[in-house]
Amino acid sequence: MANVTKLKLTNFKRFRTLLIDFNPNINTIIGDNEAGKSTILQAIELVASGNRSKLENVGFETLFNKECVDEFLHGTQQFEDLPKIHVEIYLSDETNPDLFGNHNTDKVDASGLHMVCEPNQELAKEINTVLAVGSQNFPFEFYEVKFITFSGEAFSGYRRLFKCLTIDSSQINSEHANREYIKSVYESTVDSPNRALLKNDYRQQKLSFKNNSLQIVNDTLGDYDFSLRTGSKYNLETDITLTQDNIPIDERGKGQQCFIKTEFALSRNSEKRVIDTLLLEEPENHLSHTNMKRLILKISESHQNQIIIATHNSLISSRLDLRNSILINSSSLEPLTLNTLPASTAKFFVKAPDNNILEFALSQKVILVEGDAEYILFDAFYQLATGKRPEADGVHLISVGGTSFKRYLDLARILSIRTAVVRDNDGDFQSKCVDNYSEYTDQAIAIFAEKDVTKSTFEICLYQANSAICDALFSGGNITKTPLQFMLDNKTESALRLLESHAAELIIPSYIAEAVAWINE
Amino acid sequence: MDKRVVFAVAGAGKTSLIINSVTEDSRCLIITYTDNNTDQLVRRIIKKLGCIPKGVRVYSYFSFLYAFCYRPILGYDLKTKGINFDYPLPKYAQFSKMNKREHYIDKNGRVFSNRISKLLIKSKAINKVLERIEKFFDSVYIDEIQDLSGNDFNFACELAKLNVNVCLVGDFYQHTFKTSIDLNVQKSLHDSFEAYSRQLIKAGYTIDLVTLSNSYRCPPAVCSFVEDNLGINIGSNKSSEVEVRLIDRPDEIDAIYADNSIVKLFYQKSNKYTGNTDNWGNTKGIDHHIDVCAVLNPTTYKAFKQGRLASLAATTRNKLYVACTRANGNLYFVDEKFLSQYKK
Repeated sequence: MANVTKLKLTNFKRFRTLLIDFNPNINTIIGDNEAGKSTILQAIELVASGNRSKLENVGFETLFNKECVDEFLHGTQQFEDLPKIHVEIYLSDETNPDLFGNHNTDKVDASGLHMVCEPNQELAKEINTVLAVGSQNFPFEFYEVKFITFSGEAFSGYRRLFKCLTIDSSQINSEHANREYIKSVYESTVDSPNRALLKNDYRQQKLSFKNNSLQIVNDTLGDYDFSLRTGSKYNLETDITLTQDNIPIDERGKGQQCFIKTEFALSRNSEKRVIDTLLLEEPENHLSHTNMKRLILKISESHQNQIIIATHNSLISSRLDLRNSILINSSSLEPLTLNTLPASTAKFFVKAPDNNILEFALSQKVILVEGDAEYILFDAFYQLATGKRPEADGVHLISVGGTSFKRYLDLARILSIRTAVVRDNDGDFQSKCVDNYSEYTDQAIAIFAEKDVTKSTFEICLYQANSAICDALFSGGNITKTPLQFMLDNKTESALRLLESHAAELIIPSYIAEAVAWINE
Repeated sequence: MDKRVVFAVAGAGKTSLIINSVTEDSRCLIITYTDNNTDQLVRRIIKKLGCIPKGVRVYSYFSFLYAFCYRPILGYDLKTKGINFDYPLPKYAQFSKMNKREHYIDKNGRVFSNRISKLLIKSKAINKVLERIEKFFDSVYIDEIQDLSGNDFNFACELAKLNVNVCLVGDFYQHTFKTSIDLNVQKSLHDSFEAYSRQLIKAGYTIDLVTLSNSYRCPPAVCSFVEDNLGINIGSNKSSEVEVRLIDRPDEIDAIYADNSIVKLFYQKSNKYTGNTDNWGNTKGIDHHIDVCAVLNPTTYKAFKQGRLASLAATTRNKLYVACTRANGNLYFVDEKFLSQYKK
């Protein structure tokens, strides 16, 4: 069974160059809007399709990297310097000599498919005429596209050397996308000889309908006959649709449709193994939380074939094992993979309650706090210390339950995210806050906690720094405890009340002030 | 690893030898010289196994050379657009140095057919070719090996270095194509069977004269005629009694000519004559003729009468050999001059 092992893009859309390795099972591409997730799926689909018209419909102009076009226009403007687009997928199957050779930009022997958009050599004279004018005119119209295998053999859509199926939830209701989907799953379910047989049978049935049922009408028409259309536009494969409980899938709601299509394609995938790679574009769209969880379960159970998912949903990426994630960031062009993440940490995020893993991964700077009370008050502390909101500095705040700081630090380390841990000393600063993190010596990681072991929790520190405000706020009325005891017993409530009434007057506990200062160093 | 050249006589079952070794899970490379033979081999494999197994590839010689060997290894850099089959080579290519592009590739970016193998050998890509074959196949068959001449013969010799089984099959005396000749390269290759065999042995092949020494097609009388008159060894596995003789009575000539089940084979220009006709050299590989009438042109008629057919020019003798050995049944000879009335 073939799968994509590597994708290389050159001058394709936002990527001057991009190199991504894929594993044979599940791959989740996570990233921000505009990071290029869809571009990656589109590239794989384009080169696998071998479909010239698909590409021409999109247009070279939209596919070309803007930078390389600008560079050319501001550079020599010579024919031989005209940029080219390359989309190359490397395939795992090395048993087919037609796929194997060195027709790739790295010139290595491998199996794969290669799409090149380059200026048409035969139009060199015309291109030179256009370029000679010297205006900022890029000769897109003189480009041609070639689909070749790594052996140098040209291929087209008729010869599906590598079968991939895209399910794009943003286009779920488009008639075209539907037809393509049904065609793909039909082709993957019925092999080519049987398709011909069924198609032939369908035409025969039409003929017999005409000869039997329409006969009565036609008998009255003399030389004329009503008949049924046949041919390339009117045959079994144009008429076929997919139904569930007798309802055509394209008449279901968007969410349900997305779910059914993915589920059905996945089931094709495991039994027949005729779809090599399934490309899922933002499957979270239109799905309720419950359905999404069901979908994730389906995906994680299908171990048979390669699935590449583009998503900006934390749940999807963490539930499908973060180690399968490829992170694309709109600010950096290098994809990051999390495959070096420790197994226990990966497992933790699979099991952890729904979390903000993606927000974490996409941040430049993160402050991790221990509980809800810190989280509630942190925004106010930050503004007091810097005069700005954390978002304005690109600082992201995450509340981490008790002991899982290290899980996030494992991630931070791989992704080089500047991360401050803000925690309690729990009565033993040296062992809880120093020795505990001795392995995280990275420059970009720092631990902040109160050194005085008598101030063992956030509430004690907070109370001691703001005893006048707290004493006033948390005594009298129904409160019979001491103000500190009340705060310790009602952490969230006391934090909320402090935020409501005294946000601008609070004194920041010193270790938190240090953390805020460090994160912006 | 077995490296073998099996010399076969006409109708000995060269194709069967290859087909017999192909199974469902073979990883087998089969190369034939002509497209015609490629089709025939593919049909025979489908007949035997119902389909072409995944690991089996049948190529005609030049598509093998270009699409399997040359293009995946050198094509990306040299940017060529196909094969130039023109013969002889243009002057600029003939007189160019062999380390220059124009020695191998014409001005329109097409590789000269008779120099693809030379290009592979001289550019050291040959080692990559061997690696590539070993990656995909466990055995290699080349049919019609006698038609490889010039650089292509040298290329076949290189294949003896493969770390997989290699079997070359052919009939030295059926050498009739000249397409891969390149100036003086291996010019006298086909002059002597002994010298030809010596080169193959030197390259590392074992010569097998036994496996395919008897014809399943030609009856004993036809084989004896060929051995006695053309000097080419051929045994027969048949026992049927047939006639081999010169026809010179006009009424008999007319009767044979009128019988369209008997093919009339001419030295050349058979299309100028009416009826069921063909040229000697064209009939290579054809197996369906029962009775054959070989039409002798003045030179061959004279040699026939004087009993010295064996000393005809090698190509003429080889073509006549091909013509005679088409016979599953009777073999007749007719003097061409008696047939002028049948010209179109």
